Amino acid sequence: MVTGGPPEQLEKKGLTRRRLTLGILLAAAAGAIGSLLTVVKVLAPKRSGRGYEADILPGDRVVYAQGDQLGTPVQAASFQAGDAALVYPAGKATNQANLVQLIRLDESVFQAPTRLELTDQGFVAYSAVCTHLACTVSWVKNQASPSASFTECFCHNSIFDPARGAKVLGGPAPIPLAQIGVRVIEDGSLVFTSDFSGPIGPQV
Amino acid sequence: MLVRWLNERLELDKFMEKFLAKTFPSHPTFLLGEVALFAFITLVVTGVFLGLLYEPSTINVSLFGAQVPAAYASVVRIDLLPMGAIIRQIHHWSAMLLIAAILAHLMRVYFTAAYRKPREINWLVGLGLWGGTLVAAFTGYLLPYSQFSVTATSIAYFIAKSVPWLGNGISRLLFAGEFPAAGTVPRFFFLHVMLIPAVLFGLIGLHLLILVKQKHSEPRANRNRDAAQKGKRLIGIPLWPEQAIISLSVYLFFLFIVTLLATYVPLNPIEAYGPPAAGTPVMRPDWYFLLVYGFLKLVPGDLAIPFPGGALTPETIGGVIFPGFTFLVLALIPFLDRAREPQHYLANPLHRPFMTAFGIGGSVFLAMNVVAGYIDRLGIAPDTMLVYVALATLAAFGVPYLLLRFYNKRRKGINNGKS
Repeated sequence: MVTGGPPEQLEKKGLTRRRLTLGILLAAAAGAIGSLLTVVKVLAPKRSGRGYEADILPGDRVVYAQGDQLGTPVQAASFQAGDAALVYPAGKATNQANLVQLIRLDESVFQAPTRLELTDQGFVAYSAVCTHLACTVSWVKNQASPSASFTECFCHNSIFDPARGAKVLGGPAPIPLAQIGVRVIEDGSLVFTSDFSGPIGPQV
Repeated sequence: MLVRWLNERLELDKFMEKFLAKTFPSHPTFLLGEVALFAFITLVVTGVFLGLLYEPSTINVSLFGAQVPAAYASVVRIDLLPMGAIIRQIHHWSAMLLIAAILAHLMRVYFTAAYRKPREINWLVGLGLWGGTLVAAFTGYLLPYSQFSVTATSIAYFIAKSVPWLGNGISRLLFAGEFPAAGTVPRFFFLHVMLIPAVLFGLIGLHLLILVKQKHSEPRANRNRDAAQKGKRLIGIPLWPEQAIISLSVYLFFLFIVTLLATYVPLNPIEAYGPPAAGTPVMRPDWYFLLVYGFLKLVPGDLAIPFPGGALTPETIGGVIFPGFTFLVLALIPFLDRAREPQHYLANPLHRPFMTAFGIGGSVFLAMNVVAGYIDRLGIAPDTMLVYVALATLAAFGVPYLLLRFYNKRRKGINNGKS
């Protein structure tokens, strides 16, 4: 049983060796787990760079984004006060951030903070991407008094006031929908005249 | 002959003696977990059928002259097959019932305090099973790639993205890029049919293994019998053949109910929703996500708690913190309501005023969030609904608590008077 050296020294030595081995094992395991970060990096593709960024330019033609008239230019004459439609800039339908709600109201109902220089003949346009969780907003038309119509996101019932700069009237949306300029041109169709006046989509 | 052949090689007799004689307490509420197991088996079987026909791709293909994503087209084709639609409906309904059965099972275990020592581990495994089932259900939402699927998944994507610091990385990792990315459907398909079921299989095995090792807890009535016989014996019926017959009956009855529901109450009509398009219709998630959905409607939009390097937005609070907190509270229960000695008999909920009242209050709070999912239809403002939620929760906790306190005082008084 005697293998040289006092027992307490042996014990200490053994303990150290055990600790060293354990340390090496733990370090190796940590390294091996750390190497999984490579996998995580590969599995989470880089940002495509665009994110929720619209690419609407002044002069882009306003076309319908849904329904029978999908892709055809919006005609001002077909819109009464209280009407609204989802529209896109022509040829840029693949970018969801470009989705816009075009609304026509009686010009007299607009109040601050609506930017009047971005409206024309009662036409006002806002981003159609809800600032809460990116659902597309809908138009709730009040048949009896068209100017009391409003914009609502049917996902979590955020309500926006189109006459007051798409101010949030209720629901979980944190900020208003951004306004974008529109103008009626000679042939009776509409074009965009500006970029969005503020941030669009969920603020995350 | 086959039995003998197998027996000589696998020593089945020994195994049968040990395992098939396992005692099952005979009480109907002990069957809730079995219902969950049978729903899971039904999901796997119908899932195999659907998986063999489904195409996990968003490339546009032609379907009846229209250009639609291949995934959507493949599900429409499944619906057109003989029995295809009914199998898809059984799959969907089984998921609805699975999550309900787990919830009912969890409530039975909670109210009878069957989570106490030595069963804390199985309580946690059970919670893991519930969480895994919800993730499986969520990843299944996207697969038909209808307008509904894409909107629901997009909401979840932005909830994940709203988490301070980690949100960007987590959302790109889970959704294979910025949703809707080309890789999202293949990734969700793999998670839904392979990874999550594998984890669930493992957890179910662990859950049952621990159950067999620890044995069932027993209804309270057995305690008096044990006391009379001056010995602890698990009273019940053996797995083979009695319990097996009961279980088989439960499964056959489950199949009857689920087929009935699938036939007469069809869910998720993807043909009506159509492929992804510009507008978002009025839509509500399946019942088990209504909690989160309703809560999201209640969080005020201007509530953003500043946070170093970001802010806790309403989306994070409603979509991540609220469900996370619910699971955390559930996970902590066996460690807060501790028992010093191993407990083998179920508690009587009437004798536990605080825990029972807490359970009722919590259940009502969660149920009120489901109601909150319908405030648009009920015409209630979010602020008013918040008051209703608070009042209902307080009442659901306070009233049972006071009643049970009173009841227990009287009960003890009577017992003391007798002795």
